[in-house]
Amino acid sequence: MSAPVERRSVVVSAEQALAELSDGATVGIGGILTNGRPMTLVRELIRRGLRDLTIVAPVAALDVDLLVAAGCVRRVVTSYVGCEAVAGVAPIFRAAVQRGAVEVWDADEAHCVAGLRAAGQGLPFLPWQGGVGTDLPVHNPDLVEFVDPIAGRTLLAVPAIPLDVALIHAERADAYGNVQFAGPGHVDPLLAAAATRVVVQAERVVGNDVIRRDPAATRRWRETAVVPAIWGTHPYASAGIEADAEHLRAFAAAGRAAGKGDPAPVDDYVDRYARGPATHADYLETIGIRRILELVQ
Amino acid sequence: MTTEATYDELQAILLARDFRADDRVVQIGANLAAARAGAMLASVGTHPDMRILIGLSVDNLAVAGAVPAVREFSFHARSAFEGEAVMDQGTVFDDTASPDVFFVGGLQVDRRGNVNLLGVPDDAGGWAVRGPGPVGLATMSTNCRGYYILMPAHSPRSFVERVASITALGDRTRRRELGLPGGGARLLLSPLGVFDFDDDGDMRLASVHPGVTVDDVTAATGFPLVIPDDVPETIPPTADELRLLRERIDPEGLLRA
Repeated sequence: MSAPVERRSVVVSAEQALAELSDGATVGIGGILTNGRPMTLVRELIRRGLRDLTIVAPVAALDVDLLVAAGCVRRVVTSYVGCEAVAGVAPIFRAAVQRGAVEVWDADEAHCVAGLRAAGQGLPFLPWQGGVGTDLPVHNPDLVEFVDPIAGRTLLAVPAIPLDVALIHAERADAYGNVQFAGPGHVDPLLAAAATRVVVQAERVVGNDVIRRDPAATRRWRETAVVPAIWGTHPYASAGIEADAEHLRAFAAAGRAAGKGDPAPVDDYVDRYARGPATHADYLETIGIRRILELVQ
Repeated sequence: MTTEATYDELQAILLARDFRADDRVVQIGANLAAARAGAMLASVGTHPDMRILIGLSVDNLAVAGAVPAVREFSFHARSAFEGEAVMDQGTVFDDTASPDVFFVGGLQVDRRGNVNLLGVPDDAGGWAVRGPGPVGLATMSTNCRGYYILMPAHSPRSFVERVASITALGDRTRRRELGLPGGGARLLLSPLGVFDFDDDGDMRLASVHPGVTVDDVTAATGFPLVIPDDVPETIPPTADELRLLRERIDPEGLLRA
């Protein structure tokens, strides 16, 4: 009898997880507003120097600004890019859209949900009523008005939004790709189901026995890589770390300066925080343990 | 109370007064501190059955141990652990019976109550001015029983004859033709006054805030408003309303900043 084969570990580094991603890929980014943004993986996209990406981020923050500043983005599928009172509209995104450098696939938040769900379900589209009578279909002709064959109502066909890869942050995962969120999972499970491949950055990589304490909380997808990344949402929040408002205000100010013709502060930011640190540990060293401790306590 | 109410405080109190008796679920989007305070004020006073979708949590404040803290980010991560349920973006649109009430801030609003959050298009299919995006506004304004339009400023640039792009369809005639289920816009609040919509669906001045004249309002509005013969003054916050707001809801004074 041959020896039993071991279950395969899917734990890899951020660099390994995204090594095969190419220019022009469609990349989903999880989280909502300043929560749950998978920044370790987002910064790795920048370190890779990827270009012409389509970013699918249903309710985004300044992570999209960072990717635009680094020259990674061709198109954004989103319902919002901003940072609450820190930036009503993300300044770098706004400037890039106004000069035509970045295209927006405009959608309501619920259209993003419907489109991702359609992709996960293998459907060409899902119907939705919200947005009928608005100008969203004018700005985004992929949202197609049609008469529903059951009740005769006017509805929108929201096309499927399939992803090459979904990047999400989770509270814990085991080595086999069993994933558990703390609190709400946002739109992340839908992004994951819409993607060919899922990369989960986990606050903690735990044993399978820990996962088994609460199996009802587990999410799993066919092709999953797990990247250890404690505090990997910084400067955004997760269950264990608050958003770094000071850091975000400084980045938003740099973005506004770029809009007024001074790109130096943004370029410095991208070099210092995204291109410079080779690993997540290097990034955390750049931020400094004192600052991290202020945010986790 | 010794100091006068700020515009944000006035908005919160006017909203709390206007909720219907059977408004049971109120959802508050990002960066709308006055709406958040208004819903919380109602739910610790007149509306003990109200559930508020507040940041990442769903809460009822009549039975809550504490009122949620006011924070710079209304979608603070910790808010997910403060309520009786969580607000989950992936499933929040699966129940169109809730919320009853939603709030809308806008770049532009027009005579028919249409709201623009997307921006001002240019002639080449791009954007001359890019806004933040609709978030969930197109859907919420379609389904909810009523929504409030909260304008941060009142000028001919923001109050226009026709918005450059419709993000929320306010026009009652068009809503009826399309069979939209929700009740549409209830009130619009601006720094100058309170507005509603007449039987034809045109924006009407309902009251002017203390110290504001009807002429101030018409001069700041880029289209002819419906002006009734008698325009009352907005009833200012009472001492009790302000005390409850400042002591219970906003002790850190975010609405006074």
